[in-house]
Amino acid sequence: MRILAAVAAAAVVFSSSAFAHDVPDDVVVQAFLHPSGTRVSLVVRVPLTAMRDVDVPSRAGGFVDLTRVEPALRHAATIWLVQGIEVLQDGRALPPGQLEGVRLSLPSDRAFEQFDAARARIDGPPLDPATQVMWEQGALDARIEYALDHPGGRLAWRADVRRLGQRVTTVLRLVTADGAIRAFEWHGDPGVVQLDPRWHQAALSFLRAGIGHVFSGPDHLLFLLCIAIPLRRVRTLILVVTSFTLAHATTLVASAYGVAPSGNWFPPLVETLIAASIVWMALENIFDSVAGRDLEAAGGRAVARRWAATTAFGLVHGFGFSFALRDQLQFAGAHLLTSLLAFNVGVEIAQVAVIVSAATAVTLAFRRLSSPRVAAIVVSAIAAHTGWDWLIERGAVWWQYPWPVPSAAALVAVAIWLGLAVVAAAGAWGVRRLFDRHAGSARSANGANRAAVSGKPAEAGSLCEATESVR
Amino acid sequence: MNRNAITAVAFLVVFVGLGAAYLHLSRNVAAAERNAAQAPAFEVDPLWPKPLPNHWVLGSTIGVSVDENDHVWIIHRSSATLGNNEKGLELKPPTGECCAGAPPVLEFDQAGNLLNHWGGPAPGYEWPTSNHGITVDYKGNVWIGGNGEGDAQLLKFTKSGKFLLQVGKANARAVPADKEGVSKFGGNSNDTTSFGRVAKIFVDPKENEAFISDGYLNKRVVVLDADTGAFKRYWGAYGNKPDDTNLGPYNPDAPPAPQFRNPVHCAELSVDRLLYVCDRVNDRIQVFTPAGKFLKEAFIAKKSLGEGSVWDIAFSKDPQQSYIFLADGRNMKIRILKRDTLEELTNFGDGGRQPGQFYAPHSIAVDSKGNLYTTETYEGKRVQRFVYKGLRPVAAKDQGVVWPR
Repeated sequence: MRILAAVAAAAVVFSSSAFAHDVPDDVVVQAFLHPSGTRVSLVVRVPLTAMRDVDVPSRAGGFVDLTRVEPALRHAATIWLVQGIEVLQDGRALPPGQLEGVRLSLPSDRAFEQFDAARARIDGPPLDPATQVMWEQGALDARIEYALDHPGGRLAWRADVRRLGQRVTTVLRLVTADGAIRAFEWHGDPGVVQLDPRWHQAALSFLRAGIGHVFSGPDHLLFLLCIAIPLRRVRTLILVVTSFTLAHATTLVASAYGVAPSGNWFPPLVETLIAASIVWMALENIFDSVAGRDLEAAGGRAVARRWAATTAFGLVHGFGFSFALRDQLQFAGAHLLTSLLAFNVGVEIAQVAVIVSAATAVTLAFRRLSSPRVAAIVVSAIAAHTGWDWLIERGAVWWQYPWPVPSAAALVAVAIWLGLAVVAAAGAWGVRRLFDRHAGSARSANGANRAAVSGKPAEAGSLCEATESVR
Repeated sequence: MNRNAITAVAFLVVFVGLGAAYLHLSRNVAAAERNAAQAPAFEVDPLWPKPLPNHWVLGSTIGVSVDENDHVWIIHRSSATLGNNEKGLELKPPTGECCAGAPPVLEFDQAGNLLNHWGGPAPGYEWPTSNHGITVDYKGNVWIGGNGEGDAQLLKFTKSGKFLLQVGKANARAVPADKEGVSKFGGNSNDTTSFGRVAKIFVDPKENEAFISDGYLNKRVVVLDADTGAFKRYWGAYGNKPDDTNLGPYNPDAPPAPQFRNPVHCAELSVDRLLYVCDRVNDRIQVFTPAGKFLKEAFIAKKSLGEGSVWDIAFSKDPQQSYIFLADGRNMKIRILKRDTLEELTNFGDGGRQPGQFYAPHSIAVDSKGNLYTTETYEGKRVQRFVYKGLRPVAAKDQGVVWPR
């Protein structure tokens, strides 16, 4: 009888329970990947609450029985980590990793702040068996080793960890052979993540991102439509769109290098100005149409005016692009500038595609209408109305932020931006002079040709205009 | 000189002028930053947390803690501190569509979503009649005190609300009523089984010891084994043996009191193993070794009467914990002190109900990114987040409301 009672008591005290809790809301996977010679070490920490369907040995009070927990930890690490994480070298998946060590850590443990400390934690002694720790409050640390095909090479990561929780965030740090650290953070499973991309991989990835970004933002599309409405010639369109792209590339690159203001007031201000740019362009279209001015027929100065406006607004839109690009820059590897330029090229390709399509559609649609001018006014009015709504909405958000208090540091930043603006204005002025000279030469040549054909001297007005334009 | 040349020269002159201004200003900025004291800067996050579900509202909110996932835990007094006009939904019969007291323990994520909620009386333990203070320890366990009339116990739970441990018994401080029949509870700061209205708990990961600020009835710091709850040691102000003699009202001009006044409101251990104790009504912080040896004290806003100025503290997140953030519920502000000298560098906040203002900031905690969280008692009834904006030169002692810029 005593033996039975003892067995029953032992069963109660040293029990094992299958841990099948709900899928946790937030799971953070912390990982270090470190190539060395022909091996790459992965040390990874996940909360045990995400390790479901595991038989957990427990002791009195519901605490984990630390003397018997290692098989459960190995089981959890195998089914949730070893089988869920793939490391690739130069585009080819490495053989599955070998689980070399596991540890249960307390939630307060800070070993995963550095690679060496994390590896030492896993290779070091386990927790004191007397420690009271609940399974769902602990962390699983695992070291997984992969055999490389050859030393060096470029590593990539592909994982199936989304199933660990409702929202899974992976924080991965690549510790290169020379000790440099490259940090990544993403949500869910984004597919293959190039940890050390070649320049063309980074460029291609950012080119795609640039194309995708144009189509994901209705405000940019509407702005492009407003540009397209009065322009028919492809050459003029491409010139204007390229000026827009060069302008937004300037501020986008500047932002990526940390020159943009960091205050909370800045993003809503930029969003507000983007809405204002739509309203401005739409109103300009309406006034030109009402006045019966044909932008392209009016010649160089009118086109240059639009070109100047799109350049100015391009600077603003560049900041808008930079907000979207902020989280992506970690994937540029060592090719930040290449990636930024590729992103801009992607944006340019998408913009040209959009604007040529829009201009063609506008031309075809307006050709069938009895009054293209009225159609231009109506479409521009719709754009202006939408832009105005955004302007009010975004302006209200921006208005909640007080103006930054002027300080010497803020004035330094203002001086930098004014300097950039002066350079941009000087560049724009120079290009405009070239425009005028080109237009003047063309007119002068046309006048001379006409004079030669008719046998009369060139008209006085044409000569004056040509002279003015080359001053 | 033709017009083009003039324009080009103008561009050049403006550019050179701006360059000169830049050089001059940046030298000034560098010099100012070298000379000025630096302190952490914050801005209130008016959008955190998100609205609670189920028409829930908070009562007096008297505890906050941040766990290793940067989830924010608060405890509040719920319906017990709500007027009938605030809790019409839970009256019987209901008197309206709004509102009901939320469960006492609430867990929020960094986005301000409510993740988890639990708490309240249940078989197996004695839930405080007026819960007070919450701490998530290094093992992820949740500790709760209480300052209700008969509260002489503290409780430990798992994060999911599973009961783990109770130390002390409710009503252990009951005494025969005085002549007026009013006072039914009295302090006993030398009892080694129960407490006297516990304000807050801190758990030391190194020694697995719990430091108890005890409290609203007793006048001491108690150290327990964090697993078993066994009493290990305790002490009063200056490391003296605690004495429950009534010290009368605080007088800022009198010599410093030899004992704590009620409540002893916090006891927090720093990375260099100094224990900082909030002697709230005496307007002072006392610093001890973990063994209870008195080291030094500092007075904060010493003229503050009533509830006193030193309500709760939290350490900054730099490895040296260079700064102390002090919740001053009397003067409605958060004070930033240098930890080594206990000198106040600056403060922010003001009385009021808008974001960034306070109505009795009672508790304070810091997350791993350095963001601050405060809870407010009495009619404050809320939790606020203040986003860390880095170290900045101190421009003003009183910053006022730190609205987002």
